Amino acid sequence: MRIGSEVLDQQAVDADGRLMGKVDGVALRLDGDTAEISAVLLGGATMLWRISPRLARWAERRRWTTATTRIAWSKVRKIGVDVKVDVDAERTPAFRWERWVRDRIIGRIPGA
Amino acid sequence: MSPLTEIRVERLLGRLLVDAQGTAFGRIAEVEAEPRGDAYVVTAVLVGPEGRPARTLAFLHQLPTLRAVGIGRKPRVRRVPWSWLDLTDPAHPRLREKVSE
Amino acid sequence: MGKLLEVALGIVTGIGGFLEAGSLATAAQAGAGFGFQLVWAIVLGSICIAFLTEMAGRLAAVSHHTMPDAMRERFGLRFFLVPLITVGLVSFLVLASEIGGVSLALQFATGVPARWWALPVAVALWLLLWKGTFSVVEKGASLLGLVTLTFVVAAFRLGPEPREVLAGILPSLPSHEPAKYWFTAVSILGASVSPYLFYFYSAGAVEDGWDESYLMVNRLTAGLGMTFGGCVAVAALVCAAVVLQPRGIGVDQYDQVALLLSTPLGRAGFWLFVASLGIACAGAALQIALQIAYLTAQGFGWPWSENLYPRQAARFSLVYTLALPLAALLILAGMDVLKLTIMSMALTALSLPVTVVPLLVLMNDPLYLGDHTNGWISNAAVLVVSAIACLVALVAIPLQILGGS
Repeated sequence: MRIGSEVLDQQAVDADGRLMGKVDGVALRLDGDTAEISAVLLGGATMLWRISPRLARWAERRRWTTATTRIAWSKVRKIGVDVKVDVDAERTPAFRWERWVRDRIIGRIPGA
Repeated sequence: MSPLTEIRVERLLGRLLVDAQGTAFGRIAEVEAEPRGDAYVVTAVLVGPEGRPARTLAFLHQLPTLRAVGIGRKPRVRRVPWSWLDLTDPAHPRLREKVSE
Repeated sequence: MGKLLEVALGIVTGIGGFLEAGSLATAAQAGAGFGFQLVWAIVLGSICIAFLTEMAGRLAAVSHHTMPDAMRERFGLRFFLVPLITVGLVSFLVLASEIGGVSLALQFATGVPARWWALPVAVALWLLLWKGTFSVVEKGASLLGLVTLTFVVAAFRLGPEPREVLAGILPSLPSHEPAKYWFTAVSILGASVSPYLFYFYSAGAVEDGWDESYLMVNRLTAGLGMTFGGCVAVAALVCAAVVLQPRGIGVDQYDQVALLLSTPLGRAGFWLFVASLGIACAGAALQIALQIAYLTAQGFGWPWSENLYPRQAARFSLVYTLALPLAALLILAGMDVLKLTIMSMALTALSLPVTVVPLLVLMNDPLYLGDHTNGWISNAAVLVVSAIACLVALVAIPLQILGGS
């Protein structure tokens, strides 16, 4: 499996089929000479780092970013068209802005 | 310095890989992993050209129309086994002593 | 049988949805200024958009990815920001032009100046997106857009010399005002090859659940829909060439564009013009607003779909909810609609490579397209036309700005 093209930047889909975000990072656990994939990461400083490391550091220092959503590799069910993960997106930081926009803005307009 | 226990793939991609003597070897283009039991173990990295002109030509090579008129060059990609990498400083990956083409 | 109906509907949608503020204004200026000489630009643009639309559909059907999706995944976030910001900005300007077009149609109908219509129009369009589903928005707008076929009727009524029209299909050098000629040519290319058209098409293919069995439907819909749609634009040019050019009337107001239909068809023609302008621009505005939302949401992986309730895709809905009134502000502020339209078309042409090059890389990647990667004609046609459009725009736009329009 090629991590860069098959996991990184792929669409993450949660247990209910909701679109969660794109995979912005992949963590490897090192154990001496061997390394194995330990988690996928979404959003937060990890995403900002992909744009610019300086931007990520600056945002972290000022707390202007949500936490990065970390999903253990054991919860990743499928790599194919999407990366299916066995979590509920609603409970992760990945959906923090989605919830905020829903509750504070969109949800307040009739007919939403 | 305590041993590093976690490395991010996205921070490894694009990094310049130097050999034991410090000469540029290439840029890390991809990280390969294989399933072993329940885990996915990293087996190798793919290393592509390091210079900007070579990388630009490699990008243009993906367009068949340009290829047909001779623009673009297929990049040389080498597979380096994971165990050959020295990642004590993940921002500056190096090859260990034993190196061959 | 079902697929045949889909093809028919797709072609009709392509025809009805082709003409909008940009293609109308540029065709009118071309006809008024240069007679039939610039027909080739419309033909070239239509061929290019036909190929691009087919590619977008094929990408969706085979890889089940929309274009922004695939672009983010294949090239990474940092690279993706370039098309996101470029296409986002240019689309925003085009959106303002379309809202301006609807506002002008209402000005013609009621006498109330266009700028006061901009925000109400934006709100009405927003309501359609808020409550509507994808099919309703896409098909409704395009079917109503068939009123633009009036231009075809008018063109026949005006009875141009067929030989002269056909001669215009071959590119020729201008006999006068070369800077304006090339600027007009470039803006026609930008109007025909608008990225929002094929981004929207690709989102539609995924919304409608296309798979590999739809490849022929896709080819016919894209090919025939865009080809016939281009004919409507040619018809508008012909009208302008017959009505305006002999009298030396230039197009710097939409009032002159109204003459295209009112001269051959009288009072009915005037009202059909108002309806055509209003409906075509409204349809385009809906598509562009959605397209900006698709581009952002799909690139960042947010939930998206016009078929979901807004609260189920909150950030996606927020994007079009903000885009519409903000674009309307440009018109409210008094920006000249015609100038804005033409310039945003030229900027579209200038920025084409930003979208086209990544798309071409994707279309030739077996990881996404499997056995269905591009043939050499698709590759060459699109690359060459985009390169020409960009290079000519690079020269023509500064000349136009310096020369004053």
